[in-house]
Amino acid sequence: MNPAHLHLLLNHVPTIGFAFGIGLLAASLVRDSDDLRRAGYVVFFGVALAAIPAYLTGNAAEFVLKTAGEIQRDVVTAHQNAAMLALIPMEIVGLMGWFALWRFRRWHQAAILVLSIVTFALMARAANIGGQIRHPEILAAGAPASAPSWPSPAAMGAAFVLDHPWVWPICEVFHFVGLCLLFGVMLLVNLRLAGFIHGVPLAEVTRLLPWAMAGLGINIITGMLFFLAAPDQYTQNSAFTWKMGLVLLGGLSLLYPTMFDQEPDSTFDILHAAMTRKLIAACSLVIWIGVIFFGRFLPYLGME
Amino acid sequence: MASVLALLEQSGLAIWIRESGVLYGYPLILFLHTLGLSTIVGLSAAVDLRLLGFASTIPLASLEKVFGLLWAGFALTTATGALLFVADATRHASNPAFFVKLAFVGGGVATVALVRRRVFRGRQRGPFLAAASLGCWVVALTAGRLMAYVSEFLS
Repeated sequence: MNPAHLHLLLNHVPTIGFAFGIGLLAASLVRDSDDLRRAGYVVFFGVALAAIPAYLTGNAAEFVLKTAGEIQRDVVTAHQNAAMLALIPMEIVGLMGWFALWRFRRWHQAAILVLSIVTFALMARAANIGGQIRHPEILAAGAPASAPSWPSPAAMGAAFVLDHPWVWPICEVFHFVGLCLLFGVMLLVNLRLAGFIHGVPLAEVTRLLPWAMAGLGINIITGMLFFLAAPDQYTQNSAFTWKMGLVLLGGLSLLYPTMFDQEPDSTFDILHAAMTRKLIAACSLVIWIGVIFFGRFLPYLGME
Repeated sequence: MASVLALLEQSGLAIWIRESGVLYGYPLILFLHTLGLSTIVGLSAAVDLRLLGFASTIPLASLEKVFGLLWAGFALTTATGALLFVADATRHASNPAFFVKLAFVGGGVATVALVRRRVFRGRQRGPFLAAASLGCWVVALTAGRLMAYVSEFLS
């Protein structure tokens, strides 16, 4: 399996996943069901996380096509920009979904529903342009790959980093600030989950979780800027593949303290929960330490 | 002073860290340095945010245990930091960003100790120290991260 194959596997997740999430959220409105609503938010959050490797593997697939010498540059560029244009609102919907899971407010639902439909349309457009890369038969005769008036955030992001020598170092600084926020809060929450810290209900400790999300958000933005500026440096590095896989798992592990912060009440539940929570806390910490490990080893490990 | 730095830099240990090229050498030390600093800065930031009024229902007493881990992180960062310094002693000693970083790490550590000894015992209110602590860590992180760029700029 090569990265182009991986991209073909992952690239259906954002479009189909969002359709699924919108369906769940719409059903929750009809049935007035909290369970369906939460399921919808979990889908949005998970798909927003999975959309990141879906985007990143796109550059890896481009590298494969480039080395094979068969590439339609303008269609690929149009697809990349369309994908970034959809990825940005998708990450916002994912973040809003997470917030709604953390503390639900009535307006979250309407805002998420509207924005997720817009995002779905943008993602469908990106997918449609992507299909034209290898399937010229679906293109009507003479139709342009994309209208020139659409914004091109991927190219703009790359130009922003490459044209200003101060952007990369500043992003490195922010990447470390984000890392400390995310790791510090996750450490605290997981120490509470594991029972190392006590004398405070888990639901109180999880009130700090938005700071972990802020750290994750800072690092996704700054990390994406690094990637846009030097994609081949990352797509051709196996340590980066590991790092991003672990980021996906780490992001998903955030859902546990977000959704299950009620204290168990019966003796059986307490014993059962203690084991589960210790295990989840240990996994979460190993995952985030692994992210730091592969990030730091990136220049030394996995360069072919 | 210069001869001491040169002596450090020419030691077998320094040469091994700098030139061995093995993954358990320089890269591992760098990783452990990052792990240690994210532990001390991250946990300190979490405590500071609590003192600044976020999640203000967390009882301070329940956070006492965090300081043990925080100091362990500090020990790891200092030990690995010393190794990284020795490997490039002259270059680091001529880098102003390095001294800015050291000064603000000192400030950050001092505020953590004061938070533990005064705020957690109820002798002083937290927000001022917490803000000072966060400020110190941000400057220390910035100076640390920019060290390579400053050194490149100066040479």
